[in-house]
Amino acid sequence: MMDRYTKLQMVGIYAAITVFLIFILLPFFEMFMASLRPLEHLFRSPYQFWSDDFSFDAYSKMWETVPLLGRYIFNSIFIASMVTGLTMIFVVPAAYAYARLDFPFKNASLAIFLGVNMFTGAVLLIPLYRVLRTLGLLNTYWAMIVPGVAFLIPTGIWLLRSYLEKIPKELEEAAYVDGASRMYTLRRVVLPLAVPGLIVVGVAVFIGAYAQQFLFAITFNQTRELQPLPAGLYEFIGYQSVTWNEMMAAALVGVLPVMVIFLFLQKYLVAGLTAGAVKE
Amino acid sequence: MATLDLQNISKSFGAAQVLHDISLAIDDREFVVFVGPSGCGKSTLLRIIAGLEEASDGQIVIGGQDVSAAHPVDRGISMVFQSYALYPHLSVFENIAFPLRVQKLPEPELKEKVGKAAEILQLTDKLNLKPGQLSGGQRQRVAIGRSIVRDPKVFLFDEPLSNLDAALRGDMRVELSQLHRDLNATMVYVTHDQIEAMTMADRIVVLNGGRVEQFGTPMELYHHPATKFVASFIGQPNMNLIPAVVKGTAEGLTVELDGGHVMTLPVETGAVHVGDKVEVGIRPEDVTLGADGLDISIRVLERLGGASITYGTIGAGTRFCASLPGNAPIREGENMALTIDPAACHVFDAKGDVLRRQSAPALVA
Repeated sequence: MMDRYTKLQMVGIYAAITVFLIFILLPFFEMFMASLRPLEHLFRSPYQFWSDDFSFDAYSKMWETVPLLGRYIFNSIFIASMVTGLTMIFVVPAAYAYARLDFPFKNASLAIFLGVNMFTGAVLLIPLYRVLRTLGLLNTYWAMIVPGVAFLIPTGIWLLRSYLEKIPKELEEAAYVDGASRMYTLRRVVLPLAVPGLIVVGVAVFIGAYAQQFLFAITFNQTRELQPLPAGLYEFIGYQSVTWNEMMAAALVGVLPVMVIFLFLQKYLVAGLTAGAVKE
Repeated sequence: MATLDLQNISKSFGAAQVLHDISLAIDDREFVVFVGPSGCGKSTLLRIIAGLEEASDGQIVIGGQDVSAAHPVDRGISMVFQSYALYPHLSVFENIAFPLRVQKLPEPELKEKVGKAAEILQLTDKLNLKPGQLSGGQRQRVAIGRSIVRDPKVFLFDEPLSNLDAALRGDMRVELSQLHRDLNATMVYVTHDQIEAMTMADRIVVLNGGRVEQFGTPMELYHHPATKFVASFIGQPNMNLIPAVVKGTAEGLTVELDGGHVMTLPVETGAVHVGDKVEVGIRPEDVTLGADGLDISIRVLERLGGASITYGTIGAGTRFCASLPGNAPIREGENMALTIDPAACHVFDAKGDVLRRQSAPALVA
C-alpha cells in the first residue's frame, strides 16, 4: 500500500496518539506504582519515583483488610453481566423494529430515547429511589440492575439499529418469500449476520453498566454483601488511615478480568467487522 | 404449474402512480419477460406478483385462484433476487435447504430434494462451501437452487443476470433457457436488457411509465412494434426514427423524409392526412448500400468483422445508423447512398402509435 502520509504528518499523528495514551494510561501506571509501594512511602517527601522496597505485599494483604473483596469483584461482574444480558434482550427486538418496521411515532420515540440519554443517572437518583422503594427493590441486586438496564437501552437501540439497517433487505425478503416468519428470519438470518454488531453493542453496554454501577450501588444498596467493587473499595478507607496501596491493588485486580475479556473480544471484534460477511 | 393472470393491477406510492391498470394473461409453462427502462415499474409489478408489495387495485390469479391477499408461499411462487440474496453465514446446502427448513421437512426428504436441485444446477461438489467462496455464476445458481426446491407454480426472476459480467451473462442465459425447458415451469423474468428478453422469452411485456406498451412474442415485437417506444427499445442497434411529412395517402403512404427523400410506404394510412408529421422507423439492418436512395454522411464507422455499424446523419442532422456487411466499401467522412425497402419501414403517427404495415415478414411460429 502507498504511504498516504508524509513523514511530518506521521510524526504529528504519533505525537497526538502518545499524548492521548499518556493521558489515559498514566493513572493506571500510577495506580500500579502506588500498589507496589509500602504505605509509608506513599507519603514520603520529596517524591521519589523509584523505591528499593517495591513489593507485591499489598496484593495479598488486601484480602485480609477487606475480607469481602472477592465478593465485591464477583458482584461487579455479575451486575454488569446481568445488565448487559437484560439490556440485549430488550434492545435486539426493539432495534430490529426500528430498523425494519413502520409504526406510528417511530421517529418521535427514537428522538425521545436519545433525549433520555442526555440525562445522567444522577439527576434522577431521588425519583428512582422512591420508585425502587415502592417496588421493594432497595438493597437487592435488582436495585443496581434495573436502573442500569433502563439507562442503557436507548444507547443500545441506537447502536444496534444502525447496524441492522446495513443488512440487505433482500435477504429478509427472500426469507419472507420462502415462508419464514419474522421471528424465524430474525433468528436464522438477521441475528447471525449481526453478530459483530451484537458484540459491539454488548461491549458498549457492559462498559456502561460497569461504569454506572457505583452511583446506583451507593444510593440504592446498603447491603455489604451485594456491593460491587467500586463501592466496596470504600472499605479501604479506615477510621485512622487509608491503605492507598491496597486500594490501588484491589482496583487493578478488580478490573483485570474485564480487561482480559475485552482483550480477547477485541481480536474477535476486528475479525468480525472486517470479514464483510454481509457484503455480497 | 399454472397460469398467471393479472387483472387491472394498479399501484401508487403516495401520490405517485407507478402502475396503471395492468392486465396480462400468462399461459401455463410460458417464459414471459418484463422489459423496460429503469423506473418503468417492471420490478414493482414483479414484487406485487411475489407478494412483497401490495397492489393498490386489481387481482392476481395464479392457477385459477385469486391470491391477491395470500402470503408468497401460499401463492406458490418463488423468487430469485438481483443481488442473489444468499445467506452469507450458511453453507450452499443450507441456503438451498432454507425454504424446506421453514416447512420443517423431514431430514431425509430434505436431503434428497436439495441433492436433486444441486444436481440440476451442477452444485453437488459445492454444497459445503459458503456463498463467499463461489463465483458470481455459481452464486446465481445457488439462488436458483433455493427457488426450485420448493416446486413452486411460478418462478419470478428479478434482473438475475445484471450483476454478472458479459460473457457469464451469455452462458447463464442459455442455462436459464435450458432450466425453463427442464422444469417445464411458468417463469416471469424482469430485465432492462432487451437482448435477454429477445433470446429467452416466449412472450415479452414491454413496460413504459407503468403501462404495458405491448405484449407479444419477440418476433411480433420486432416486426410489428405497436408503438414508437417498443420499436426503439427492441432491436440492436436501435431503430432509426426519421421525421417525415405526409405527401399523399393514396395507395400507401407517401412521405418526404427529413433531407428530401420521398418514399411510398405500404402501410394503412388510417387517420393520417396530407401535411401531417409522422416518423418513419427504419432498422439499421434493413438497409443496403445502393447507388441511389438515402444520402448519408458517415461520421463513425465500427468494423465488427461480420458487420460494419455506420453512424451518420441525414438531412438537417437527423442521426442515422446502418448495419452493413463487414466488407462494405465505405469510409468515415465520406457520403454513401442507402437503398431502403419500403416494406421494411415502420411509420408512427404524432402520438407514437404505429400505422399497420400491409406486408411484413412472415412470423416464425
